[in-house]
Amino acid sequence: MKAVVLAAGEGRRLEPLTNRRPKPMLPVANRPLLEHVVEAVAEAGIDEIVLVVGYKRDRIQTHFGDGNEWGVSIEYVVQDKQLGTAHAVAQAESLVDDDFLVLNGDRLIGSDLVARLAETHRDGDGAVVAVTRSTEPSEYGVVELEGDRVVEILEKPRETPSDLINAGVYGFDPSVFDVIREIEPDANGEYTITTTIQRLIEDESVRALRYDGMWIDVSYLWDLVYVSGDVIDRYGRDSADSAVVEDGASVADGVYLGPSARIGANSTIRRGTTVGDNVTIGSNVVLENAVVFADAVVEDGAVLRDCVVASNATVGANVTVDGGDADVVVGETVHRDVTLGAVVGDNATIGAGSVLESGTVVGDDATVGAGTAVSGRISPGTEVQRG
Amino acid sequence: MCGIIGYVGSDQVAPILTSGLKNLEYRGYDSAGVALADDVLSIHKREGTIDDLTVPESTATCGIGHTRWSTHGPPTDTNSHPHTDCTGEIAVVHNGIIDNYDALKADLEAAGHEFDSDTDTEVIPHLLEEALERYGLPTAVSRVVDRLEGSFALGVVAAGRDEIVAARNDSPLVVGHADDGAFIASDVTAFVEHTRDVSYLEDGDVAHLDGGDVRVYNDGQRVDRPIQTVDWGADAAEKGGYDHYMLKEIHEQPQALRQAISGRIDAVAGEADLELSLPEQYLASLDEIQIVACGTSYHAGLYAKRLLERHAEVRTTVKIASEYAFSPSRDPWRTLVIAVTQSGETADTLGAMRRASRAGAKTLAVTNTVGSTAAREADDALYIRAGPEIGVAATKTFASQVATLALLSVYVGRTRGTLSSSDASDLLEHLRGLPGAVQQVLDEEPRVRTVATEYADGDAFFFVGRRLGHPVALEGALKLKEISYDHAEGFAAGELKHGPLALVTGETPVFAILTDGTSPDETLNNVKEVESRSAPVVGVSSLERAEKFLDASFSVPELGLLEPLVANVYLQLIAYHVANSKGRAIDKPRNLAKSVTVE
Repeated sequence: MKAVVLAAGEGRRLEPLTNRRPKPMLPVANRPLLEHVVEAVAEAGIDEIVLVVGYKRDRIQTHFGDGNEWGVSIEYVVQDKQLGTAHAVAQAESLVDDDFLVLNGDRLIGSDLVARLAETHRDGDGAVVAVTRSTEPSEYGVVELEGDRVVEILEKPRETPSDLINAGVYGFDPSVFDVIREIEPDANGEYTITTTIQRLIEDESVRALRYDGMWIDVSYLWDLVYVSGDVIDRYGRDSADSAVVEDGASVADGVYLGPSARIGANSTIRRGTTVGDNVTIGSNVVLENAVVFADAVVEDGAVLRDCVVASNATVGANVTVDGGDADVVVGETVHRDVTLGAVVGDNATIGAGSVLESGTVVGDDATVGAGTAVSGRISPGTEVQRG
Repeated sequence: MCGIIGYVGSDQVAPILTSGLKNLEYRGYDSAGVALADDVLSIHKREGTIDDLTVPESTATCGIGHTRWSTHGPPTDTNSHPHTDCTGEIAVVHNGIIDNYDALKADLEAAGHEFDSDTDTEVIPHLLEEALERYGLPTAVSRVVDRLEGSFALGVVAAGRDEIVAARNDSPLVVGHADDGAFIASDVTAFVEHTRDVSYLEDGDVAHLDGGDVRVYNDGQRVDRPIQTVDWGADAAEKGGYDHYMLKEIHEQPQALRQAISGRIDAVAGEADLELSLPEQYLASLDEIQIVACGTSYHAGLYAKRLLERHAEVRTTVKIASEYAFSPSRDPWRTLVIAVTQSGETADTLGAMRRASRAGAKTLAVTNTVGSTAAREADDALYIRAGPEIGVAATKTFASQVATLALLSVYVGRTRGTLSSSDASDLLEHLRGLPGAVQQVLDEEPRVRTVATEYADGDAFFFVGRRLGHPVALEGALKLKEISYDHAEGFAAGELKHGPLALVTGETPVFAILTDGTSPDETLNNVKEVESRSAPVVGVSSLERAEKFLDASFSVPELGLLEPLVANVYLQLIAYHVANSKGRAIDKPRNLAKSVTVE
């Protein structure tokens, strides 16, 4: 049985971090989201994976290659235009000729879900949809069940008939491709799996698989800050052997340090922090609940709480991000009291002594001059000077 | 990642294991070892590369081997595989991680077993020691595997038993079938020179190799794993979704560079840690360094020359290997000859190295290939750690060669006392920033493709740069000509007016390197010269004021003397997209081969 993993999406809500990588390549516990999915699939005993890629696909292909490192064989199909999840699945048609699974490449799930879904799918007829409970069902596809049969599925409804949602993991057989060809685009012009399932329900029985294990959707920037820590708490991960911790630095339990990362003298790395490959943390730095991507530099004396520092960014000496709750605008929605110190985009530079207020989001390639107090969103590529 | 191999059959096993391990070395190279099973079991293992491992001649025809990349416990002789039980009669190699080894180890220690290493693997031979008291080897392995949690590919041999038992869960393991025996390995490359008939084990499989006979069991039942013939090189999946190996390898540069510098930079002390065995006094007494190389490696040598002269204050000459002769005017005792060759098998370069060696000079091989002829024959070897490169047009290995040679310039400079620790720290900091800077360039690919396609129909292509920009200009032209078949030349920018300017027309795009380390202001004057002949000019630049003189410009992030190396990544992408727009056979350009083993 093959697994088709959808990884073509962009992830706009996670800008600026998705300006240079697709959402499935955002690191959680220093591994791309998609790698967690590939591992869950591999651990469930499925060793043939079709990755549907599109937006910034070189990042995905370079990381996964032919899958050898994960003990799986990976084939790629390209979805050139993002015309919806069902359209993405349809791209895999030429590589699938038997029962198969479909998974989202940007949700964290347990391998037990994949294994159980494969078993359920193998043992019965027709499509299977994994369902899980959510505290915010209106953000997802809400599912109504009768026994273990799906009788209704509604995408992001205002009023939710249940708190059961579509977990984004499915079992199909190749006849689904014919159904996808027949469906109409939804209000956003997208051909979705939800529409496909609504159509399937009319003709045949669609089974539900209830799941209450790990299911995490990294939707917003502030999710990234805590999810890495959660995942390391849950599964543990030993720091790389080649990471260097200089004298006097203290690194808390549950912190992950990547290959060739360097923690300078007398720095304090507190809980919930992950430090990526080839990262340099200077002396007397304090990191708490911080996620530092590969190749970034945090210079001496910086204090960063509840932060994301993206790849190759430079945070200057004595920069302070106090952390805590803030109101953050995403698109046209204000999210109140979310825990987000700051996000520093890829290749951005924060000058020495700057102070980033809670909720600051600095775009990729942006430069903040020394000693500047910053808040809100700084657009990619812009320069901010002390005024 | 680790690699394992095993063989049982009628041939002597030791050479099969060592050559197989060399092929697997890309999977890890911090320690290696083999177990040869005769009437007694002999283990040979140590920290270091496979070259460091000496395996004595042996009549044994059954054995297993391992190359390690540490996960549990540092790379030491004791932590190397194979691991044995208390009696020393059972040996195990393992790729993967045993999650429940803590609990198993505690049980075994309580039962009186003694452990030598810090590894998770060592629980397996001790568990087998107990199981073998009651069962044969295949059943014993099945019983033990049932108790293991985690991922593994295992190979097991025991004294006095002419058989191998292998088991797989979540880690790759293939079986090779030959007329005179059978193989197990993490990857087909380990034994592809012996057989192409392979079967792939599935999770939960236990394979029993008894001479040429292979029986596979899963959950106690005999199962059939069909034998397939691998068609080497035809497997499109290996390109990982890319149309060409070259483009894949261009994109692998950030990771290749992280590997090249990993563990070699001590930014605080301003030291490069290269573990060379060339004596310090010898390096201090050098009159001259001679670099011998061909093609792209020669351009890396030209780049290194300037870094060595600047940092180590030693006269450095770069010679095309096929043109090289050791001059009698030189003192061989005060001359170091550095052979730069990706494959380590380039015949011209080996020839030059041997001439130098015969003249009495010491030689250093800078190569990507552990165990290659150059690495074995030279007095010392320095690895660039770029991983396998398959595209004929070298890309990531150029970047890794320059990065590694830059580290060497720091090492020699510090040894000779010519480079201050603060200057060294600056360069090391730039080296550390190299992977991120290269990724930044790769992110610009869509725009590079647009520009490349726009100028693809030029009559000829010229590349100009000064100082460190000169080797990059030569390399940019070489890439373009070898894969697009267009006429392309690289020039020292100042030389334009002494001849080549006659070739410049409105139909000859000129690519200019305008970064730190390339005297960009002077080159900008040359840019104006060609523009007045109406040639379109594309700049790769860290000089903002240059932009208004350029028809298209790509920006290079600040990185000191390594900016030209970062600029080169743009030129690689330009060459690729020009050639691709013309439908060229990019990975196998006409008339060219990857590793030229004839003179």
